[in-house]
Amino acid sequence: MKKIDLTTRLGPLELKNPVLTSSGTYGFGEEYRAFFELSRLGAITVKGITPLPRLGNPPPRVAETPAGMLNAVGLQNPGVEAFLTTYLPRLEKLNTPIIVNISGFSLDDYGLLASMMPDHSCIAALEVNISCPNIKEGGLAFGTDPKSAEQVLAVTRKNTKLPLIAKLSPNVTDIVPLAKAVANGGADIISLINTLLGMRIDLDTGRPVLGNIMGGLSGPAVLPVAVRMVYQVYKAVSLPIIGMGGISCWQDAVEFMLAGASAISVGTANFINPLAPLEIISGLEEYCRRKGYNRVGELVGLAHR
Amino acid sequence: MLHQEIVVENQRLAREADIYRLVLKGTVADTAQPGQFVHIKVGSTLDPLLRRPISVAGINRPNGEITLFYRVAGRGTRLLAGVRPGESLSLLGPVGKGFTLPTAGELLLVAGGIGIFPLFALVEAVDRSQVKVKMLWGGANRDFLEAVGRETLFQMGVDYAVASLDGSMGQPGLVTDLLASELNKKGVLVPETGEGNLLGSDAGCPEDWGRKAGFSVAACGPRGMLRAVTELCIQAGAPVEVSLEERMACGVGACLGCVCTVRTTDGALERKRVCQDGPVFDGREVVWDEKD
Repeated sequence: MKKIDLTTRLGPLELKNPVLTSSGTYGFGEEYRAFFELSRLGAITVKGITPLPRLGNPPPRVAETPAGMLNAVGLQNPGVEAFLTTYLPRLEKLNTPIIVNISGFSLDDYGLLASMMPDHSCIAALEVNISCPNIKEGGLAFGTDPKSAEQVLAVTRKNTKLPLIAKLSPNVTDIVPLAKAVANGGADIISLINTLLGMRIDLDTGRPVLGNIMGGLSGPAVLPVAVRMVYQVYKAVSLPIIGMGGISCWQDAVEFMLAGASAISVGTANFINPLAPLEIISGLEEYCRRKGYNRVGELVGLAHR
Repeated sequence: MLHQEIVVENQRLAREADIYRLVLKGTVADTAQPGQFVHIKVGSTLDPLLRRPISVAGINRPNGEITLFYRVAGRGTRLLAGVRPGESLSLLGPVGKGFTLPTAGELLLVAGGIGIFPLFALVEAVDRSQVKVKMLWGGANRDFLEAVGRETLFQMGVDYAVASLDGSMGQPGLVTDLLASELNKKGVLVPETGEGNLLGSDAGCPEDWGRKAGFSVAACGPRGMLRAVTELCIQAGAPVEVSLEERMACGVGACLGCVCTVRTTDGALERKRVCQDGPVFDGREVVWDEKD
């Protein structure tokens, strides 16, 4: 059987395969240790970290939707200090590249978070979250205005040597100016999409289901929106792309790569099938073999021919 | 953690049209504990998307079987109701922190409606030669109580009392009325001081609380009921464990979707995961008034 080269280069970041897990869906990795050897993943992106600990939003925080779900967790996290002292040492033991998602409420926050992340640890890159829809200030505000987005990336860039991934929000009319802005700001990689803002109303109570009223939509329902945006960004910007949004099987992963993603990330699907990332890795390999490709990277952007 | 289990039985309970008993054969029974749940994939497509958390109501280790009860309340449970014996289901679990098993004294179980099901597993697991067990149960009416569990209670040979909202069976009213009279009978219910809400305060909970009281309470049911049970237990100085429910996604503690707010011993607020840190919590640590 022909060996397929799965190694994936994303600018300065090299991974053994193109399958990642998404921030907010994978805790700090260890929650999924019971299912398989986590070092088989290309990388793990951990829960968004803020300068101070956050309680997050009141429950209910999740609601099911047609082929999807809403969440409004509101960046519950232990804060950067507890992350570095308690969680990072445990992440080192997973023997997997770790991507740390950082979220701020001001430019200073992003600068601070970037400066505190060690250069020589299991942290392979920082994912700059400018697209969280579930917090009142910051987050999404940075991700919908190109000028702010560029500033956030520039400040972060100044404060770390780690590769920077800019995570874009789909809650914009045109994704391209945002992609260009983060590229100008110094991003090495672009990841998209974060969740789409949505809401549900309970028919019995007549009130919004979520404690936060609105939340972010994820799951298979958002897949075509995400594929479209990956396609647009690939065309407009030369940075490598991590595609995500509703990926639950290898077919979805192939679709994202054809649209222009160099790597893909599995999020909500982990909740239903914790083995989804592994099944996607072997499915990608099998697809390449069948189609006669030697490297998985050959798929990237083929839909643009 | 992930299992395919064979459906042995999936049957509607007599006279109570929308409640089903589901018996599954596999390996979950080997390790399941009372108060834990399984996270079940319903249907074979991605819509509905999420797994359904259902508490374990019976654990038969020798036969490798677990018994679950569920109410058909939406698309997911309706799909589950269509599963036939011989088919298999994907289970994640057993999940969560269950009830504490007392080894002596008295255990008072307080159940509201279908909250009785996880308490069945607790009755089975407790060594009743050492622990005196009594079940207090409230439901809408006689039909519900008869169909859902009175027979099981009888078969288990457990001491019980029931209350019904319409007065058609047992004491008219709420199960918390039953609990109040039970506690009064024991003479442990101290009158309210009028100093306001005891919940979330440290009023009267020294280290040896449970030992002094000589009995403990385990409860499952609607949130309002659990709150009232906790309040009574605080007045009575009795340890109380409650099984909470919350909308849930991953079931492994990763997504932080199913949190409840608790006050830690040092007074700080914390959001804990119902799926992993619970579903059973010390009633006294739960912050019942959910604010942001």
